[in-house]
Amino acid sequence: MPPSRGADASPAFSTPDQVPKMTAKTPPESTESLWLRRCVIMSFWAVAICLGLPMWWKTTAIYRAELPLQAMTDWADGKMCKPVFPLRIAIEAPTLPEQDAQHLLQTTQHALDDLNEFSAHHLRLMLTESPLTPNISQQVVTHHGLGTRSNDEDIALSIRLIPVETGATPRSQLQPYAPTLDVYYTHNQLPPPSSTSSPLATSIAHELDKIFAEEQALLAYLLSTTSGAHAAKMKSLSPGTFTELERQSTRALKYAPTYHLTFSLFTPTSVPSAWEIESALQRYLSPLLESFSAISNFTVDSQVQLYAGFSPSIRAPEYDEAMQAWTLRKEDLSGFINAAEWPLSPSIGHGPTVNFVLYVPDQSQSPLLVKENGGNSWLVPQWGGVLILNPASSQTPTTLTKDALAPAMHSFADQLLSLLGLPQSPASFPLRLSTLKRVRAASLIFSASSTMGALARLTRQLESIPVPDTVARSVDSTMAHLQQSCDLLRDGRFQGALEHARNAESEAEKAFFERSMVGQVYFPDEHKVAVYLPLLGPVAVPLIMAALKELKSVLPGRRR
Amino acid sequence: MLLSTVLLPLLAGGALAEHTSNWAVLVSTSRFWFNYRHLANVLSLYRTVKRLGIPDSQIILMLPDDMACNPRNAFPGTVYNNADRALDLYGDNIEVDYRGYEVTVENFIRLMTDRVSEDMPRSKRLLTDDRSNILVYMTGHGGNEFLKFQDAEEISAFDLADAFEQMWEKKRYHEMLFMIDTCQANTMYSKFYSPNILATGSSEIDQSSYSHHADNDVGVAVIDRYTYYNLDFLETQVREPTSKLTMGDLFDSYDDEKIHSHPGIRYDLFHGGEAAARSRLVMDFFGNVQNVEVEGQARRNETEWEEDLLAIEKMIAEAKRRHNESLNTQPLPSHLVEEADAQDTKQTVRKEGAFRVDEDAGWAKQIIGAVALLGCVGIWAAGSWLDV
Repeated sequence: MPPSRGADASPAFSTPDQVPKMTAKTPPESTESLWLRRCVIMSFWAVAICLGLPMWWKTTAIYRAELPLQAMTDWADGKMCKPVFPLRIAIEAPTLPEQDAQHLLQTTQHALDDLNEFSAHHLRLMLTESPLTPNISQQVVTHHGLGTRSNDEDIALSIRLIPVETGATPRSQLQPYAPTLDVYYTHNQLPPPSSTSSPLATSIAHELDKIFAEEQALLAYLLSTTSGAHAAKMKSLSPGTFTELERQSTRALKYAPTYHLTFSLFTPTSVPSAWEIESALQRYLSPLLESFSAISNFTVDSQVQLYAGFSPSIRAPEYDEAMQAWTLRKEDLSGFINAAEWPLSPSIGHGPTVNFVLYVPDQSQSPLLVKENGGNSWLVPQWGGVLILNPASSQTPTTLTKDALAPAMHSFADQLLSLLGLPQSPASFPLRLSTLKRVRAASLIFSASSTMGALARLTRQLESIPVPDTVARSVDSTMAHLQQSCDLLRDGRFQGALEHARNAESEAEKAFFERSMVGQVYFPDEHKVAVYLPLLGPVAVPLIMAALKELKSVLPGRRR
Repeated sequence: MLLSTVLLPLLAGGALAEHTSNWAVLVSTSRFWFNYRHLANVLSLYRTVKRLGIPDSQIILMLPDDMACNPRNAFPGTVYNNADRALDLYGDNIEVDYRGYEVTVENFIRLMTDRVSEDMPRSKRLLTDDRSNILVYMTGHGGNEFLKFQDAEEISAFDLADAFEQMWEKKRYHEMLFMIDTCQANTMYSKFYSPNILATGSSEIDQSSYSHHADNDVGVAVIDRYTYYNLDFLETQVREPTSKLTMGDLFDSYDDEKIHSHPGIRYDLFHGGEAAARSRLVMDFFGNVQNVEVEGQARRNETEWEEDLLAIEKMIAEAKRRHNESLNTQPLPSHLVEEADAQDTKQTVRKEGAFRVDEDAGWAKQIIGAVALLGCVGIWAAGSWLDV
């Protein structure tokens, strides 16, 4: 090998008298040029190592912000927050002396606790201030350590005890438009101071249990389906209830802060060409929508589509002699919406669209009904509702008046409530709303937690995905909101809990769907070799060879 | 313990709950006139799923080229998938979501994982949830574990598998049918690891996927074999949305002799394995069938309902009054204050973003550039001076 020969030979040249004999060989290398060459090689290496390597490292490294992975997983596993729903029930007993009221409260509470199988959801009774006897209320409030602020929204239900002389007692009546339960009793039904139970207490407890039965079932279902960790303390659901709840959850839309409602009038002919939809909505729907404002907001639009035909792939309506009507088979109903041609789902605004379709059939095919049960409306789960409006008169009017729309609006209102997931019982509307609030808060907490878990798992699993700082910030904010929401739930302040849960959900979505987190290209190792080799090979070979040559020339020299 | 034994089967039932919406992602990945058949494949399938009830808003159609308006098209404005030219696939009611150079690997992955910018219209997004069944159909030129996009880039089986895993983690699908018609198609789904995906492809590794026939007047092949026979089944057997044919029937209709390659089917990821996957209805993926709930007739009491509405109105008015009163007497609830704070911080963040692109930053960069340039000149000058 030439380098070794040269290295061996070079010391021999140092004696000047041998030089003439060796004319065929290369002239000796001066120490100066030797060092110059070494310097050149070293400077090349220095550039490669000090400049090239860090630059390569810097430009190819994927930035991954620190995420609290363990905490995120804990949230998803339900270790950080066990949602509990302590409901405050206020008892108003203006006519009872405080001692008796306290005693009644305690016995009722005992009866309630015995009835309750679902530990996460419990009812706490308390006495409340009543306008007649402020003294008692003062004591009660301090006794329970509750501030005055708890007297409006945080009370789930108030019970009014009303003494009566006549009628069946104890009986109770739930106010349909106020969260109030009126209980009528006679004086002898009060528990005597010595006993631990009384017919009045038991009756109140049973009544309360009945009122909150559906809410408990809903929450138990939610806990059981969303996280395994809660299953242990769950209330057992009968298979029948379970199927019903499952049907409800299939039907109801996913929670969104804003829903878009589209009301469409479709007709296969040119009439009716107008409808008084605005006033009808104002009259029949806006009270409902407004009552939901604490949970979700709504935007509304409407459209009229003339000459809207059926999809060619569904079976045409058949005339049924017995019903004296044209009929559609139930199994064809899901194809009734001619998705290819009817302009539904306008893709505007944020949030999902809920569709309500009013179909006025052609006169030659009127009345048009569903064959199986003679109904004229149906609900499409998580999509909306459809109603066939068969005009009463023989002539289809050109304009549908507000009154003509009333049955349709009624049906749409029911469908909307069902699509929003409002429970069917109890009879009191505010109670059902507040139940929905709690259910939504819990489901948002679960969904944000599970998003956190998913993000943590993906970050661990897919190492090629960059994680920018914004994600870390969103994650922190999600967890802060989750914690606050969970704390507020525990305190029984459900409106605040819902708002924090909503924020947590939107932050979690923001973190998960961060735009720059696209693990775009997976490079197998052979690809990396194929990319780097043609680039670095021609540069690296002379560098390495030169370094080796110099090393070899230096090392034997030292040995000697 | 008793509780759990009672509940487990129920919970399993919960996991298998029905789907409520159907989505289709139909992707052709090749450009240029001679790939006419790939666009025809996709458009044929588009037409079929639309006929079976999936609305346009739930179909994401990706067409990398415009065959209908190609100057070499002897039948301008039309695309045919058969030499008989009986059916114009382009028609007059077609909604292409991603067109031309928008069809890239990045956009495809962004679509699947919904990592899109805020101004992306809803019609171009895959807004699915855990109750959505998705049909993903891809066609183009591929090889072992990759599929070319527009002759410029490629998506690998690993990328695809990771994208689907992200979808599963975020609960973005209930069940998915993945179909791919390309050479060595079966390698594309070999890397999947997320549950509830049923995958099928046109050809095994080292096998080509062939076109079915050419139209001499159009001048190129108009459809691929695998797609042709799938469509043949869907168009002749699945006539209406009430069809009860299963995926098993569809897979059994595959004939290696006719397709000229060996279609593959992957069952193992599906919940319940082969039996469950085969028993799924064709309409579960190619149609949009929901279990509607029919309501009875005229059982409502209109006057009572109007009274209800009045009472609700009163209730709201009352609540508003009380709310206003409490606003007057009480300070803002803490969460409102926090929200206001959050908005403030958001605004400041926005300002930072605006600063990033303003003049100073630009100058700083230019100065750095100038310094680097001068440095290079200096080094060169020093070198030449040393040389002398």
